Parts: sequence; C-alpha cells; structure tokens
Amino acid sequence: MTTEALAVNPSVLREEVKKKYRDVACNPHGEHHFHTGRPLTRRLGYDQAVVGAMPDVAVESFAGVANPFVLRALARGEMVVDAGSGAGFDSFIAAHQVGVEGRVIGVDMLAEMLEKSRDSAKRMGLGNVEFRQGILEEMPVEDGWADVVISNGVINLCADKKRVFGELWRALRPGGWLQFGDIASGKPVPESAKANIDLWTA
Amino acid sequence: MIRETGFVDIRVSAPYDTFGEARGEKSARRFEVYGYTFIARKPG
Repeated sequence: MTTEALAVNPSVLREEVKKKYRDVACNPHGEHHFHTGRPLTRRLGYDQAVVGAMPDVAVESFAGVANPFVLRALARGEMVVDAGSGAGFDSFIAAHQVGVEGRVIGVDMLAEMLEKSRDSAKRMGLGNVEFRQGILEEMPVEDGWADVVISNGVINLCADKKRVFGELWRALRPGGWLQFGDIASGKPVPESAKANIDLWTA
Repeated sequence: MIRETGFVDIRVSAPYDTFGEARGEKSARRFEVYGYTFIARKPG
C-alpha cells in the first residue's frame, strides 16, 4: 500500500499521536477524551489483585481500549512483544504472567513513555522486561522472536495498518499468537472524517 | 485485514464500553465505537 492510498499522511498522524500521548505520559490525570489509569483497568476487567500491587506510576498513564489477556492468558516462559507499550502497564501484566522464565519487550516511539516504563520496571524489580524505542511499522525486534505479540489501542492510531499487521506477523514465530485490544465502529465513517487528522486522536 | 495478512483462528471478544462516561463518549456513540479484544494465530 502506498502513502497516496492512505486516508491520512502517516508522518503527520504520528506527530499528532505523539503530542496527545506525550500529554498522557506527563499529565495522566489531565482532561483526556478517554479514561486512564486504575478506573480504566477496572472497566476493562483486569485482575485487580495484580493491578493493586503495582505502584501508581505504573498504572496512571494506561490508556488501553480493551484487555489483550481476556481471551487467552499468557503461559509461563513465553516471549512477548508489546507493540506500542506506552507507560508499560500491559507489559507489566505480561511480565507477571510469563514469570521469570519468560521475557517481554515493550516497543514505543515516545521518549516520555519509555522513561516512565523503564522507571516503573526498575521500581518493581522486573528483570524480565525491557523497553525499546521504535514504531509499529518498523519494530526493533528480530524475525520470529515472539511467541505472542500484544497491543492495546495503538493499531487504530497507525495510518498504514497493512504494514503494521505485516510487521506484527514478522515478529511472531510460526504458531505464535497475536492478541490485541482495539476499537471498531459499527457505523461507516465518512471519507471526510477519515481525512480529518484531528478526529484520529480526538 | 487480520485474515488478509495470513492469521488464522481469529476470535473477537464481546464489546467493551471503552468510552462510556468519558469526554469522548458523544463521538464514540455517534459511530458506535467500542473496544474489542482480538486474538489470532500465525500458522505453524
């Protein structure tokens, strides 16, 4: 798929997304159009015994749209990529499920989110999680490394979804699982709305 | 698009009212936007 065939320019959209989620990282309790933090984890059915043990800083910037673990819990020892890991919340849930025998690589493009996720991992003493800077269209993960790729509310923010799904495929080993949360609309979105960059992040 | 990429065994969860009572609720309702969990497998 070429850039010309896409509804919006991927680079322009990426900069708008960065602006929005930089604010979520630095100002998690500010006025956002979506829920964040612990109330959102309850709304999406996360195990509150696990969430409750996490420090506020590891949860407050969570802005997912569903629960990637609800249809299949991760198995101990699995290797996991969290595509668009944000402040690391789903990566920490994954680290809990795979245990010390497993490993989690979170990939995010925002320096502010990476700093926050690395600080939280250190604070929780998680040695099986690392965070790398990158975009979903070009993840810094070797071919076939992952048993599971998770993601939450990020694919919908990418203009070139065909390229993103190709990249998620590349990172997975044969037989591996893709489990992700995302939004879908029940009504057709007009072309004029699709081309409006403000509506992608509003 | 998940199927087009080559994934199999695709399943989708019940919807989550992700934006209910949030500032974006009105826009979400307009286009019936909900959150879903998707799962799929890369053939072995």
